Amino acid sequence: MPPIDCEDQELLEGFLTETTELIEKLDDDLITLEKSSDDTDLMNRIFRSIHTIKGASSFLGFDLLVKVTHKTEDVLNRLRKGELVVTPEIMDVILEATDLVKVLVSDIKAGEIQEREIDGTIAKLLPFLSDSAAAAQKAPEPAAAPVQAPAAEAPAPAAAEQPPVLSAPETPVDAPPAAAVVPPAAPVPAPKPASEAAPKKTPAPPKPADGKGDDLSDSSTVRVDVKRLDDLMNQVGELVLERNRMIQINQDLQQGEANRPDFQEEFGKLTKRMSFVTSELQMQVLKMRMIPVEKVFKKFPRIVRSMSRDLGKEVDLQIFGEETELDRSVVDEIGDPLIHLIRNAMDHGLESPDERIAAGKSRVGTLVLAAVHEGNQIIISIKDDGRGIDTDRVGRKAIEKGLISEEQLAAMSQREMFDLIFLPGFSTKDKATDLSGRGVGMDVVKTNIKKLNGLIEIKSEKGQGSEFILRLPLTLAIIQSLLVEVEGEVYSIPLSSVLETIRVDQRKFHMIGGQEVLKLRDMVLPLVRLQKVFNVQQRYERDDFCYVVVVGAADKRMGLVVTRLVGQQEVAIKSLGNYLANIPGIAGSTILGDGRVTLIVDPVGMIEGNE
Amino acid sequence: MQDALVPMKIDDTHGELIQLVSFNLDQEEYGVDVLKVREIIRMPIVTRVPNTPHYVEGVINLRGKVIPIISMRKKFGLMEAENDKQTRIMVMDVEGELMGFIVDAVSEVIRISGSEIQPSPAVVSGGIDQECIAGVINQAERLLVLLKLEMMFSRDEKRFFSGM
Repeated sequence: MPPIDCEDQELLEGFLTETTELIEKLDDDLITLEKSSDDTDLMNRIFRSIHTIKGASSFLGFDLLVKVTHKTEDVLNRLRKGELVVTPEIMDVILEATDLVKVLVSDIKAGEIQEREIDGTIAKLLPFLSDSAAAAQKAPEPAAAPVQAPAAEAPAPAAAEQPPVLSAPETPVDAPPAAAVVPPAAPVPAPKPASEAAPKKTPAPPKPADGKGDDLSDSSTVRVDVKRLDDLMNQVGELVLERNRMIQINQDLQQGEANRPDFQEEFGKLTKRMSFVTSELQMQVLKMRMIPVEKVFKKFPRIVRSMSRDLGKEVDLQIFGEETELDRSVVDEIGDPLIHLIRNAMDHGLESPDERIAAGKSRVGTLVLAAVHEGNQIIISIKDDGRGIDTDRVGRKAIEKGLISEEQLAAMSQREMFDLIFLPGFSTKDKATDLSGRGVGMDVVKTNIKKLNGLIEIKSEKGQGSEFILRLPLTLAIIQSLLVEVEGEVYSIPLSSVLETIRVDQRKFHMIGGQEVLKLRDMVLPLVRLQKVFNVQQRYERDDFCYVVVVGAADKRMGLVVTRLVGQQEVAIKSLGNYLANIPGIAGSTILGDGRVTLIVDPVGMIEGNE
Repeated sequence: MQDALVPMKIDDTHGELIQLVSFNLDQEEYGVDVLKVREIIRMPIVTRVPNTPHYVEGVINLRGKVIPIISMRKKFGLMEAENDKQTRIMVMDVEGELMGFIVDAVSEVIRISGSEIQPSPAVVSGGIDQECIAGVINQAERLLVLLKLEMMFSRDEKRFFSGM
C-alpha cells in the first residue's frame, strides 16, 4: 500500500491528535446519548465531532474516512432533527461505524492506508436514511421496533454476501443514493469530494479489519494546560535567581569572605530555597505528566454495554473518581488489566436477571468502578454485587486442572484460595468463549500490575459480590524508596512494595526444605538474604540481630534480610542502559545526594525468582 | 569503522589521516578512534553491580547519567593492578551506548595515516580476543594496537547483557 502522501506532516499530526481526542469523547457521548436521547446539547456535540472529522479528512484526502463519516453524519443529522428516534439498533450501527472510523484512523497513524471493507457498515447505515425508516419510526411506538428492525437487517446481509469487490466499480452504485438523500436531510456546508475522489482509488484486495483501533490511546504528543506551563516558567525564573545567588556566594567564598559571621546563615538559606524551588519544579513537571484516569475509564461504558447485550445481563455501571490523575506511563499500562477485571465481573460475577431475582436481588446488577488517591498511591476498585467467588468451586477446578494438589488445597486459607484465580491456565469455565474461559485474563492482570509495582487485593463474599482493589504507584519515574544497607553496600527498595520492616533475632529463623522462613504473626514468610543473592562480601562481624523488610508484589509476600535500615528517600529512577538491562533482582539505579549510584532492588523479580 | 574516520588528506600517497587516542594497558599501548571517545575521567566511586560478568566493575554517576564501567584488564585477561594516580576511565560510545573503560593511563592523541595500519599478526597479547583488534600500527619507536570497539563484546556477551 502506498504510504500516506501528505504534504504537510504537521497538518497530519494535528489531524491525528484532534481526531483521536474526538473519537475518544465520541464513544462516551454515544453511550450517554442512548440513556438520555432528548439531550440536544449532547446530540449536537456528537454531530459536530463527526462533522469535524469528516471535514478534516476530506481536506486531507482520506476518502474511506470521508465516506464512513459522511453517512454516519447523515444518520446523526436525522436523529438531531427528530426525524428518527434513538433506538438500540441505530446505536449499534452508529457504534459500528465509529469503530470503523477508529480502524481507519489507526491505519493513517500507522502511516499506511489500507483498503478496508467499509461498504458493509455503510449499507447498515443506509436504511436509516431512507424515508421509510423515518415513517416506520413515526408509527406508534410498539409497532416501530418490529417494522424497523427488518428494514435494518435486510440490506445488511446483501452487502455482506457481496464478494470483496474492488471499491472502484462499486462507488457509483452507492454514490447516487447518498447524493439523493443528503440535500433534503442535511444542509451540510461541507462539499462532497468523496464521490469525485473515489474513482482515483487504486483497486486492491481489501484486507480484513484486524486492528481494533485500541492503539489510539498512546500518543506521542502532549497537550498541557497553559496555566501549568506558566507556573513552570515562574519556577524556572526563581531557579535562575537562586543560581545567581549561588554564583555570588561562591565568589564571596573565593575572595575569602567565608569567615564573615553571616556567611553560614546565607548559605543555609540558599540551600533551603534551592531545595524548595527544586521540589516545586519537580511537582510541576510531574503534574504535566499526569492525566486523568478518565482516559482509560471512558472506554468502559462502551465495553459494558456491548457485553451486557451479548450476555443478556442487565448492568448499571457506575464510575467514580474519573478525574483522579496519574502518570501517563501508568495510565497506558492499566487499560488491559482493567478490561479483564471488568469482563471477569460481567461474565463470572454478575448473574443473569432471572438468577438475580431468584436470589432476592434487584434485576439490574451494579458494577462500580472507582479511583481515588491515597498518599503516593492510586487505588482503583472494581466492585460488583454478583455471586462472589465460590472458593469451593475454585479449589475443585484448580485440582481438576492439575494446578495444585489436594493437600495443598487443604492447607490453604481463604485468601490463598482467592489467589488461585490468578494462576495462569485457571478458569472455572469448561468451554472457552469469546469472552472468557481460556485462563489468560487474570494472569494478564497479575503480570501487568506486578510490572507497575502494584498490589492486588480481593474481597469477596459468596452471594454478595466481589471487589478487586488495585494499588498502584502514581508515577514510575520518581519513587519513594527505602534505603537499606547490606554489609556496607547501600540498596534502595521501592517503598510502594514495602509492607513493613522488623528487627528480628536471626535465631528465630526456621529452615523449611532449604528455604529460610520467619513466622510473622499468622503468616509464614519466606526469606531472601540480599547478601547472598547479590554476592556481597561479609564486612561486619556476624550479628544476631538483623532487619527484615517485608515486601509484597501483587498477591505474594516475602522478607528481604538486610543489615541495617538507612532511611527513606525520594529517588529518580535511572536506567542502567542496554548492556546491564536485565540483571535479576535489579530494577534500575538511582543517584543519591552524595553523587553515588545506588541500585534499586526489584522485589517483583525477587519474588518471581524465588518461586 | 572506515566511514567514522576523519576524512582528511595529507598527501596523495598516504591515504586519509586518522586521529587516535592512545592508552596503556599492562605493557602494551593501544589506540581507539578519537571520535568514539566522549571524555576521559579519573576514577570515581564505582558501585558494584551483582550478578554480572567479572569484568563489569559496576556503574558510576556521570553527571546524572548512570553508565557501566568495564575493566579493560579483566576483559582482556590481563593481571589485575591497583588503581593509581594514572588510572583513567575512558568514556566511549559503544554502538550508541556510553560505557566507561578502566585503563592504566591515557597518553596522547596521535595522528596517523590509514596506510600505516597493518593487519594484526596471529597472536598479539595474552587473552585479547582477536575479534576486536582492527590492526597494529608500527611506527619507528612504538607499536600500537588499534581496537575496534563494536567488536569488544561477542554476541554471547551481548546476549547476556540484554537478558536471556
